[in-house]
Amino acid sequence: MQIDLRTVTIEPQRHAYDHLEQRFGAKPASRYQEASYDIQAVENLHYRPTWDPEQQLYDPDLSRVRMRDWYAIKDPRQFYYSSYTLTRARQQDTAEANFAFVESRGLSALMPGELTAQVLALLMPLRHAAWGANQNNTLICGYGFGTTFTQPCMFQAMDQLGIAQYLSRLGLLLGDPESLGAGKRAWMVDATWQPLRHYTEDTMALRDPVEVFVAQNLVLDGLLYPLVYEHLVDDVLSARGASCVAMLTQFMSEWGSETRKWIDAVTKTLAAESADNRAALCDWIDRWLPRAALAVLPIVAIVLGDQAQSAVEDQMTDFAGRLGKAGVTR
Amino acid sequence: MAVVALKPYPLRPVDGIEHYHGDQLVYWSWDHHLMFAAPFITCPSPSTRVVDFLEATIRPLIAADPDADRVDWTCVEWIRDHEPIAIDVGKSFSENGIGHKDLLRFRTPGMNTLCG
Amino acid sequence: MDMKVQKAKLGLKEKYRLMTRDLGWTPSYQPHEKLYPYAAYEGIVIHDWDKWEDPFRLTMDAYWKYQAEKDRKFYAIIDAHAQNNGHLNITDARYLSALKIFLQAISPGEYCAHKGFARAGREFPGVGTQVACQMQSIDELRHAQTQIHALSSYNRYYDGFHAFIQMRDRMWYNSVPRSFFDDAMTGGPFEFMVAIGFSFEYVLTNLLFVPFMSGAAYNGDMATVTFGFSAQSDEARHMTLGLECIKFILEQDPANLPIVQRWLDKWFWRGLRLLSLVGTMMDYMLPKRVMSWAEAWEIYAEDNGSALFKDLARYGIRPPKGWKDAAKARDHISHQFMLAFYQWSFGTAFHGWIPSEADLDWLSSKYPETFDRHYRPRWDYFKKLADAGTQFRNVGLAKLCQCCQMPCVFTEPDDPTLLCHRERVIDGHRYHFCSDHCREIVEHEPEKYVQAWMPMNQLFQGTSGGGGIENWMRWVNLVDGKDNGDFVGSRDQRNFAAWRGMATSNNGT
Ligand SMILES: [Fe+2]
Ligand SMILES: [Fe+2]
Ligand SMILES: [Zn+2]
Repeated sequence: MQIDLRTVTIEPQRHAYDHLEQRFGAKPASRYQEASYDIQAVENLHYRPTWDPEQQLYDPDLSRVRMRDWYAIKDPRQFYYSSYTLTRARQQDTAEANFAFVESRGLSALMPGELTAQVLALLMPLRHAAWGANQNNTLICGYGFGTTFTQPCMFQAMDQLGIAQYLSRLGLLLGDPESLGAGKRAWMVDATWQPLRHYTEDTMALRDPVEVFVAQNLVLDGLLYPLVYEHLVDDVLSARGASCVAMLTQFMSEWGSETRKWIDAVTKTLAAESADNRAALCDWIDRWLPRAALAVLPIVAIVLGDQAQSAVEDQMTDFAGRLGKAGVTR
Repeated sequence: MAVVALKPYPLRPVDGIEHYHGDQLVYWSWDHHLMFAAPFITCPSPSTRVVDFLEATIRPLIAADPDADRVDWTCVEWIRDHEPIAIDVGKSFSENGIGHKDLLRFRTPGMNTLCG
Repeated sequence: MDMKVQKAKLGLKEKYRLMTRDLGWTPSYQPHEKLYPYAAYEGIVIHDWDKWEDPFRLTMDAYWKYQAEKDRKFYAIIDAHAQNNGHLNITDARYLSALKIFLQAISPGEYCAHKGFARAGREFPGVGTQVACQMQSIDELRHAQTQIHALSSYNRYYDGFHAFIQMRDRMWYNSVPRSFFDDAMTGGPFEFMVAIGFSFEYVLTNLLFVPFMSGAAYNGDMATVTFGFSAQSDEARHMTLGLECIKFILEQDPANLPIVQRWLDKWFWRGLRLLSLVGTMMDYMLPKRVMSWAEAWEIYAEDNGSALFKDLARYGIRPPKGWKDAAKARDHISHQFMLAFYQWSFGTAFHGWIPSEADLDWLSSKYPETFDRHYRPRWDYFKKLADAGTQFRNVGLAKLCQCCQMPCVFTEPDDPTLLCHRERVIDGHRYHFCSDHCREIVEHEPEKYVQAWMPMNQLFQGTSGGGGIENWMRWVNLVDGKDNGDFVGSRDQRNFAAWRGMATSNNGT
């Protein structure tokens, strides 16, 4: 007897898991919804953490920001593990091709030595800044509340590790291991980099996951990525003959604009929730934005010299516009 | 021994008698009668006569065992915390000194139709 | 002059060092302990994080590439499975009980592992360790999500899957896996690592995955086979990490040995209790069986485990304290559980049943020392009651172990005719345990376990839906008459038979 299951039409008993029907109605759920909503335990937690028995294992009160429902936060990219990984794998193909292109044609060797030195001076210490961002996003994922808020932060952390690794490869291609070593020494002792390292270490001492999100993803990276990758590398340095560097940092530029959409969406949802939330966000921005601006200024000056000030100011104006659109008004 | 913790970590029981609205937890187990997978948890009032509770609650719970009908509460051997105790089933739980979360095991020597 | 020629070729190890641990630095604007505040309080002494050997050298570009390949294949297969009514390929609808338990009890555990490894990936002060933990964190997220996705199509057709989210937090038996993971996660980073990374992943995961996934393959469940095999290469990495971690800790300082040994004693026992559920699935819930729980235990625990502990002996580690009692329980636990699930099936979101004569014969042959003597007579009696129309339902609620949260169904290690009773008064309050080992765990950290959320006790406190069985069912999202009860006469049984009938007679449209 032939069994052909495909020819059987049977009525499903239900469309989706209960919690998704409750949230979105009796209809089939998307893979993003299934992967993300309510999958962190919320009730009847068994034990208090040994690092602090006043906290709960999953504790929304670790943040000053309050949400009636943390799942109001969404990722407009709808990243869950698979859609995230597939997207990055595609970008990785491009990055790989770019590295191969630059390497096989010896393009980096065609750059004037001074220009190469400038590129390395700008980018090598950023390996460590990216590692700081990895640490901060890992913390948000670990201690933040609700999967739609925390899972993209884990992706962000892995991306920042990937960026640190792309930068390392770039350094090895344009220079050698000593270029990375020089970058690390600059990160540790050069006056240019101290405000940024200070900023990074101070954010790593924070324990409010949303404040970390604001200080790292919204504020610092909101200035650093457009300035360094979109403005300095893609425009200024390319015009000076370093267009191959722009190929090697294509991932960072694209990633910067992709992740900004998500960061803005999260910020907007947090702000829309309540006046208290807006006040918290404003306090944090007041606390971190001036420091971030001071921290990026000497870095931009590596390439722009005297014109750095106005470039940072322009970026601050753009940033104020982003905040306005996200409903964070002071 | 105490838990190793970064900050003081107080002992905060969540299962005290005050949570049971005047009643208390009592556990029951019939030795060598494994038809019932685990000891029973029940919640009688301390002032209930033990025999009344046994007849109203425990006997129906064990009724499926072929030995159940032959159980005479005045003859069973009672064990609490691995020690034999005397229970006057005509008196209440509190009069018998049976406290919150005590486990009462009863033995019926000679009866083990199912699980010998 | 070609720059490439001049460049010295970097060794793989050196290159990986530049890609990972060279990224970190010693802070100077903040004290070290401010950035890593949870690294020291457990008492584990680490002198040199640089001595950490990377168990695998995976950069993010390679990670994205490999994982994307696996995910593409995985989703292609489960899409096809969903479109082609793949669920009708399973041997029998009884098999679904195993999947229901898996989704309710194990998949939430994957999520806990995700979250716990994110925390560990931030709290350990060594970059190499952090990177490995972070990768495991997103892997574990992957496992939770692929499982939810793979079982989603079963949920559309069968009962018992729909409320796994609510049941994760509220259903009494899910308190066993939940308390297990909550326990590990509320420890510090080192205990979490020894608990999940080593004891669970390294010592016990094979017992969960290999028999379970072969069981799925034997029973025509392609969706589960696919997520199982797709997760296996991740698990291989996780096992290497767990082993590397424990060796690293033990090599760093002799003071670490007693702490680690106690964690091994604790987590071996907690893991064993959790995996007893798998034994029940293997012996009773697979219509076509792969091997018995006892056989799996022999291969994956006794043989592999003793080799492992021989290897660790050079660090002064001895086998876990519960090792011998675990061996004694080997021929009992699956029967004790299935007998329990059968009599309590009114309160479970999966079906129980009395094994057929052929099944009972198989169990007799696999458990010659115990089955005919202790367990078959009970099944025979249950069958007699069922045949007489007076099916046995145990409406008594069960005493739970304060540590593992299992109903106390276990017998004395040396007397299979007597339930094992253990108790202890701590600060004026009395607590009950399933075994010596669970009691010892609690005696070590009483402050922790006295707060446990005990579902049966909560029922009497009136906190679980407001009292009464109907309220409780509503509160856990259990649909009476559909999700619960005996398999015989269940909606799953009827539907599966009808749909298969349509397929085999080609009456479908
Ligand atoms: Fe996993
Ligand atoms: Fe794993
Ligand atoms: Zn126990």
